[in-house]
Amino acid sequence: MSLRDQAAIVGIGQLPFSKDIGRSEEVTALEAAHLALEDAGLKPSDIDGMMKWSIQPTGENVIARNLGVPNLRFFGEVGYGGGGGCGVVGHAAAGIAAGMARCVLVYRSRNRGSGGRPWAGTSRERDNIAAETNETALFSPYGFVRPVDQVAMFARRFLHERGYTTDHLGWIAVACRRHATNNPIAMMREPITMDDYRRARMISDPLRLFDCCLETDGAAAVIVTAADVARDLRQKPAYIMAAAQGMGPRNWVMNNYFKEPLLESPGAYAARDLWRMAGVGPEDVDVAQLYDAFTPLVLGSLEEYGFCKPGEAGAFVENHGLELGGRLPTNTSGGSLSEAYVHGINLIIEATRQIRGTSLNQVPGARLSLVTSGNMVPTGALLLRGA
Amino acid sequence: MSDGSTEFARRTGGADWIPYWAAARQRELRFQRCLDCRRWRHPPGPFCPDCGSTRNAWERASGRARLISWVIVHPPVLPVWKDRVPYAALLVECEEGVRTIGGLVHASPDALRMDMPLEVDFAPSPDGDLVPQWRPAQAAG
Repeated sequence: MSLRDQAAIVGIGQLPFSKDIGRSEEVTALEAAHLALEDAGLKPSDIDGMMKWSIQPTGENVIARNLGVPNLRFFGEVGYGGGGGCGVVGHAAAGIAAGMARCVLVYRSRNRGSGGRPWAGTSRERDNIAAETNETALFSPYGFVRPVDQVAMFARRFLHERGYTTDHLGWIAVACRRHATNNPIAMMREPITMDDYRRARMISDPLRLFDCCLETDGAAAVIVTAADVARDLRQKPAYIMAAAQGMGPRNWVMNNYFKEPLLESPGAYAARDLWRMAGVGPEDVDVAQLYDAFTPLVLGSLEEYGFCKPGEAGAFVENHGLELGGRLPTNTSGGSLSEAYVHGINLIIEATRQIRGTSLNQVPGARLSLVTSGNMVPTGALLLRGA
Repeated sequence: MSDGSTEFARRTGGADWIPYWAAARQRELRFQRCLDCRRWRHPPGPFCPDCGSTRNAWERASGRARLISWVIVHPPVLPVWKDRVPYAALLVECEEGVRTIGGLVHASPDALRMDMPLEVDFAPSPDGDLVPQWRPAQAAG
């Protein structure tokens, strides 16, 4: 038994992104849930399951009681922040395939733009200490604690081994920005050039400002139903053709340097299972949303999901392979780098729009739409398909 | 100074890491080693992931390593690091096969080259504790 094609994304809801959304994560999650229900043509009483990111502070019971959901018979969460998103939707599909739910709400709201940020000195000291007891900050005595540092450490070795340059990272930033320029809710809409990229200030050498995602307030929700329910709803279903998660050996969150091979990310494991379940391969994919908290993650995903052989992803991005009209239009609403950073729920929503044919940067006739989660942490991936 | 176990546990990694930071205060680089299969491991943990043994000892490492990667940290940083930017953090692979992170001492980041030989040194972190750091290996080494 497989969950292949047994569930579909039928509703999406997303509030405009901003630096200060002005209300609580609880309220914005509820607003996004209502938008997703309306989009699907469903009522709160249709919901019988919920899945969330572990990092999401607002519990399912809070959402359920405020929406007026009479009973949840299936609920749970997936950890690892930006690694979790595809797993959250994947578990929803698994619960549906197993008969434990018919209609599952997935939600993510986050006030990171206006909330405390230790690097900006806007959070209290005790937040810093809390960060240091986390697995993501094993090496705080060396000032090696920011996510950008942890990715940069991986990136320098990765570029060296593969023969890539930081310009290859720049082409990723430029492509994402290009896709955000016509997106009215994107945080960053001004086009950037490679010269802009090269001139940007260093954050963690070799990574510069435009290698990094955005601090965002945002909220979004997705409704997943059984395939037989999906057929009769308002929107064209985005069937979940495959869902996979991966961790690989000896995983450490963000500081994932203690495994062999050093440069193989959890994404490599998720990719193998994804293609096996789907029965198709990367050559069949029309459009992708590759998790881009930082540019090097995209370069790695191009290899690990099989779009490029090791060492060939640099030429792929330099030849505009990620842009609309290229071989694999990627992060077509701007991604985490230019639209918003909300642990990837915006990527899942854009992947769904591509199946519906409603993206602002629509890939004509897109039928297979890939989404991945963050590969510096335990990760996941989804392959969506149209009818 | 007290044995510091409270500060260590709070600072980084939790209880499994206390011997790592405690050894550094004695200017020693030590890693956990399985007493049954004899494999080294780092970061530390209660079970040997190779053989399942819970018997381990913190054995002294040679202090010789190879540079795997590095970053040079620029602002914004936590308040205690503000006066130290830009500074380097190194990922090294020790002779024993384990990898760890440390700072750079006795050299400028400009001198760093992939896979160059390094040796351990000890210098204080901003909180004053001696912690393992890395410097370019002597030519004869």
